[in-house]
Amino acid sequence: MANKKDVGPSTPKRHNRFVRYWINLGARIKGWFVDKWTAIKDFFGGFRNRNPKQVEADLVLNDGPQLTRGEKFRRGMKAQSGWLFVAPALILMLVFTFWPILAAFINAFKQNYNSLSGTYEGIGFENFVRVIRGDTGTGGASFNQCLVNTLLFTIISVPLSTLLALIISVALNSIKALQKAYQTILFLPYLTNSLAMGAVFATFFTIIGTEKNIETVGLVNNVLQGLGLAPVEWIKASSPVWNLGAIKIPWAKYIVVIVYEVWSGLPFKILILFSAMQSINKQYYDAAKVDGASRNTILWRITAPMVSPQISYLLVTGIMGGMKQYTAIVGIFGEQMGTNYDMGTVVGYIYRYVDNGQYGYAFAGSILLFLIIMVITWINNKVTKKHTTYR
Amino acid sequence: MQELLLLSSKAVGWLVALLIIVILVEVGLIVWLILRRRAQRNAKSAASVIGKWDLSAGDEGFDVEKVQRRERTKTVIKDIFVYVFLTACAVLAFLPFYWMIMSSFKNEDEYRQSVPTFWPTQGFMWRNYSSVLAQADSNGASFWQILINTLVVGILSTSIGVIITVVTAYALARMDFKGKNALFAIMLATMMIPGELYTISNYLTVLKLNWENTFTVMIIPFLVSVYYIYLLRNNFMQIPNSLYQAAKVDGLSDFGYLIKVMVPLTAPTLISITLLKFIGTWNSYIWPRLVNTTNWQMITNWVTRGFSDKVEPYLYPAGSQWYKGESLNTLKMAAVCMVSMPLFVLFIFCRKYIMRGVSKSGTKG
Repeated sequence: MANKKDVGPSTPKRHNRFVRYWINLGARIKGWFVDKWTAIKDFFGGFRNRNPKQVEADLVLNDGPQLTRGEKFRRGMKAQSGWLFVAPALILMLVFTFWPILAAFINAFKQNYNSLSGTYEGIGFENFVRVIRGDTGTGGASFNQCLVNTLLFTIISVPLSTLLALIISVALNSIKALQKAYQTILFLPYLTNSLAMGAVFATFFTIIGTEKNIETVGLVNNVLQGLGLAPVEWIKASSPVWNLGAIKIPWAKYIVVIVYEVWSGLPFKILILFSAMQSINKQYYDAAKVDGASRNTILWRITAPMVSPQISYLLVTGIMGGMKQYTAIVGIFGEQMGTNYDMGTVVGYIYRYVDNGQYGYAFAGSILLFLIIMVITWINNKVTKKHTTYR
Repeated sequence: MQELLLLSSKAVGWLVALLIIVILVEVGLIVWLILRRRAQRNAKSAASVIGKWDLSAGDEGFDVEKVQRRERTKTVIKDIFVYVFLTACAVLAFLPFYWMIMSSFKNEDEYRQSVPTFWPTQGFMWRNYSSVLAQADSNGASFWQILINTLVVGILSTSIGVIITVVTAYALARMDFKGKNALFAIMLATMMIPGELYTISNYLTVLKLNWENTFTVMIIPFLVSVYYIYLLRNNFMQIPNSLYQAAKVDGLSDFGYLIKVMVPLTAPTLISITLLKFIGTWNSYIWPRLVNTTNWQMITNWVTRGFSDKVEPYLYPAGSQWYKGESLNTLKMAAVCMVSMPLFVLFIFCRKYIMRGVSKSGTKG
């Protein structure tokens, strides 16, 4: 109070509260503009008039009282300029990856979803229920049939080709001459177009030309006949089938698919396992030899544990790829995926929903596929974790 | 003569059967050997526990030469075993390609013989290829149209995609900004989700944008691939930080450092990414089938068409059952050959880069 009285006389004129408020406000607004103007001048002037020595000192001190506001702002922006670099990828991913995933999870729960008008009748699990019960009016084999097909292809072909790849890469690792040549030839099937090679495999197995009065059996059946066995119809409608209630298992067609899957899955697996074996430290082998370990002991006590992370990786990726199998089946059995889609896969079925305009079912089906893959991967991880040695 | 041919074909069929049997027997032998060795080892360890070591067996002196000779014989036998096995596998891996090429040169009659021939005995039908090249579907899409589509889309999407990959990977590897790690984690998380989930949504988006039957629809949605960004980022991270500081002292900007130092240093990975991206476009089937009608589709969609002898120059005389008839397998094989050959040529010249890229990223484009 006393202080206020001291100050009072020094100011020539003392306004009342109301006037003081408005004068202060005006000064504040002016000050705000002046402040920003100096900041802007700083910012642009800074580019031209930057003192090199000052910049160096700033670099050393990083920040401090000697930095002008413009400089500070520029530094701050520059620190975030990484966003400018990731912006193209980020925008594309927002539109074509993140949003679609979100949309899929939302739309899967919309009943009778119409994509063009965006209308739907209620929200619930009806799409999922209908997909599982096969109550979608899609025609042909059911979703469950396709699921069983896909699971069986994957469960049979992936371990088979991984085991074969392991044996081949051990053999490849134990030779010196012609190693590169064998590796190249064995890698060749990787680069192929699955539709094109599916068509070639179909010609191996198919019985062609019987309707033209020429009795032909195909290459594989020739081999079977050479072994004294009866030829089998591999591709066409009359191929043998096991009936298990609602699910049919056309085993001859399965064999064609599994042979193809093993053949086309081997190159990648050999490449991964072989390069893993090549990178094992040679000291381990030397030590084992000094200790008098036999070749089998070395294989099962050194090589196999050392490549076990790769084996588990191959199993996971193989199962993920196998569950998404589609194009090879089209290549072998044509666009109809066998007779009336009896060789259909989950992905093939999802695309049939899309072709029919049943997008709600398609979303529900793809989410089911995602969940199935997650569950299988999780089980696989649980199982392999016990037997995997990480370096 | 025909008899002889049939006989020779049968012989080759037998050979294939033999190869398969060899592989099966060898695999069986390996498994048996392992099991036996395991049993022996178990027995031995059991024996050692009980203390029943039979020392008298090793008492008859230690003949070094004898042991060496036995070792050498063992090695030779093992080598023969391994080479036979690998050769059998290599032959079976290559057989489909051989079959594809030979079938594309065959006459349709010869192709459909009851015992297939392993060599086009009735002369090479080079005209299969000219017939396939002359074909156009109901929309007028010829091979050349489709090839141009594929090349334009492949080159554009590969070049733009590689640029985006490089810039993004650089930012993620070298620059510091708020939320970098969170962004990278989210990007990696999308790799878990199967592509079908967003392909359908993308299809609906594209329908709303009226992008059907354009090159845009083939290029834009697949420019960003998280696998390659991840791969390149890891490669960038391996470049020592001191190089960056040296470049800074020499007055290089961030962008200049990226272009002049990092890109040359990671050139092998970049070449791998470019090749795999292009191969991915070449092999794309599902997306073009979904969004584009035939004359805007890609080369893999073209292969799934049926090819029959319906255009000039006709391959078979007017009386033949193939003339203007059903679709012919030999023509299909010729088309398959034409689609596969560029990949082989690419593989022959860039084997190192392709194999390295595949073993690192584990994707097919």
